[in-house]
Amino acid sequence: MDVELAKPFIKAVVDVLSMMAFITPKAERPYVKKGNVATGDVTGLVGLTGSKVGSVSISFDKACAIAIVKNMLGDDIQDIMQDVKDAVGEITNMVSGQARAGLSEMGISMQGSTPTVIIGDNHTIAHVTNAPIMAIPFTTEAGNFTIEFCFE
Amino acid sequence: MEKLSGFREKDYLEQVTLLYEIDKAKDTAALPELMDLFMNPTRDQAVDRMVVNALHAILATSPQATIEGLASPHPGVRTLCVQVSGESRFPEATPALLKLIETETDQDFVYEVLTALSRIKTPEGLPSFRKHMTSEEPYISTLCVSMLGTYKDAESVPALVAMLNDSDSDTRYEQCDLSTWEVVKALAAIGTDEALASITAKLRHRNPTVRRIITDCLTAMGERPIPFLAQAFAQKAADTAAVDQQTLAANVLGFIGHKKGADVLVAAIDRGVVEHANVKYAVYEALGRIGSMKGVICLMDGLDESDELILMAVVTALDRHVNPGILKNLTGRLAARGPVADQLARAVASARALNIFTGLYADPAMAEILVNAVCLSKDPVVVEAFREALSALGTDQAKAHAAKLPDVTAKAGAKKAIAADDSKSMLALYRNILTDLGVTPLTATNGQEAVDHLDQGEVPDLVITDMNMPVMDGMELTNKIRSTPGLEAVPIIMVTTESEGSQREMAAKAGVTDFLTKPFKPAQLAELVRKYLG
Repeated sequence: MDVELAKPFIKAVVDVLSMMAFITPKAERPYVKKGNVATGDVTGLVGLTGSKVGSVSISFDKACAIAIVKNMLGDDIQDIMQDVKDAVGEITNMVSGQARAGLSEMGISMQGSTPTVIIGDNHTIAHVTNAPIMAIPFTTEAGNFTIEFCFE
Repeated sequence: MEKLSGFREKDYLEQVTLLYEIDKAKDTAALPELMDLFMNPTRDQAVDRMVVNALHAILATSPQATIEGLASPHPGVRTLCVQVSGESRFPEATPALLKLIETETDQDFVYEVLTALSRIKTPEGLPSFRKHMTSEEPYISTLCVSMLGTYKDAESVPALVAMLNDSDSDTRYEQCDLSTWEVVKALAAIGTDEALASITAKLRHRNPTVRRIITDCLTAMGERPIPFLAQAFAQKAADTAAVDQQTLAANVLGFIGHKKGADVLVAAIDRGVVEHANVKYAVYEALGRIGSMKGVICLMDGLDESDELILMAVVTALDRHVNPGILKNLTGRLAARGPVADQLARAVASARALNIFTGLYADPAMAEILVNAVCLSKDPVVVEAFREALSALGTDQAKAHAAKLPDVTAKAGAKKAIAADDSKSMLALYRNILTDLGVTPLTATNGQEAVDHLDQGEVPDLVITDMNMPVMDGMELTNKIRSTPGLEAVPIIMVTTESEGSQREMAAKAGVTDFLTKPFKPAQLAELVRKYLG
């Protein structure tokens, strides 16, 4: 179990969303799921290599993703799909970066890929490895999202 | 240290250069001033970050200074030194770390200290993991349980078993907690008889994820858990729970693939302990996976089975281990003609047992019987598989037989059904039943493959799914289908060995339309298919 990897990601996602999108997420009880798929409406996925190899995804439901875009861009929304894609990509990137900085303080050095963003109502995406997935659900006043970790 | 005097008045570039030099030189003399900068930060994020990095670098070379820092009245310094102790794995820091959490109530700090102790891994740290293993904070309990496995702490087994049992209680079983995952892994790592007996006893855990984790852990252990799995076959199954336990134990023995596992199963059959159809099915499937000499002989006896489903499992298993003895036995049975021989020939066709087919084909009488059986199939995939096998044989006889095979193509406008099951013979049976009813089958060996069919634009009129499958189980598949626009109402039939209500409750909540309990007669499934497809 890579439970020690989780804390920096939780801290990073709370920091990034409250700073960039003025949304304060609350972490719920984490759980384990078997099966290498993440489900959501908008997902940012980052592959990680280094001390450990795996992937981390952040899957937002539609309401939450749109709230983030609105809070980040205000009323200046040109193309909602493109803006959601950019915003979730950017958030995922920042979370990955900040979390990796936290992990390096613990002596775990990892490199992250450029995030991939998948949009589609209730889509599924595959994580890199076949290990069980640690999922941390978050609630916000705007909607819900889940972070999933999957490491070899 | 003069270098840092007047630091706050220097410009950014000078500050950064200085800190860089101190970091590289790991200059211990700079420690007091760096600590001062750490406690009273400059408020320039980049500079403050470099101060932390420099402190990390210096403290990593000085266990004494780090341990002194653990007693600092400043909480930030204490946390920093906790992290450095762990990262640098200073065993001499253990007593000070233990003292820190004796009375600590801040759970985040307790977690930091336990993380450091988990990295240092001295024997003195063990009691603190025992103490916090049942913490309400999920990350703390998970870390502690994982460490008890690392220490192989036999003393913790009763407490771990209690946690595993609790995870199966009415209020907890619906979700697999992080700590439950670690409890199973820790018990497997500790590996005492008590630990293994308790994991094996929980093979029937009501949560499908925990069940898979237990199966995976036992499988990865190889030969060691076989005697504990054998206990399921100590006597005849008296109730449905015992039937499930035998079925699951047979599955795991098959996954382990060790000859001793085959011995257990063969002995169980010889003693007449294997009675229930589900257990027979699982035992034959497992023997097919293992493939020991005794197992193959036992499988040949299994050809006497009259249940279509079990016979398919036997034929599928034998097809993996074809040898002259098997072929001779089959020739004798098929040559006897009559309804029993016909059923066997159909099983070879439906199971697509191409190795058996190719092995028997040289005998013209056998070739005739088997080709006739294939001709009865309405399944394009079955017919095509044998057509390919015949063209690979390349003889004149094979060419003539290939030409004789019916031209079965999926009818345009025919109804479609997705069938998901990780058992090859179950899938063959589904194909058989569906094609007989004129329904086009789309098969999948797990939920994800079923979803792939949907992603490719297939719109099924019916879904038949197993409950427990690798990659994505039937429950998750059902959730997924129910939330796909246009498929909210598609009938989903779940075929399962579960005799317990709780699993069905979870599945019904997820949106399963109807259930079919194994064992079932093909006619029962056909009836359900007709019911939902009209």
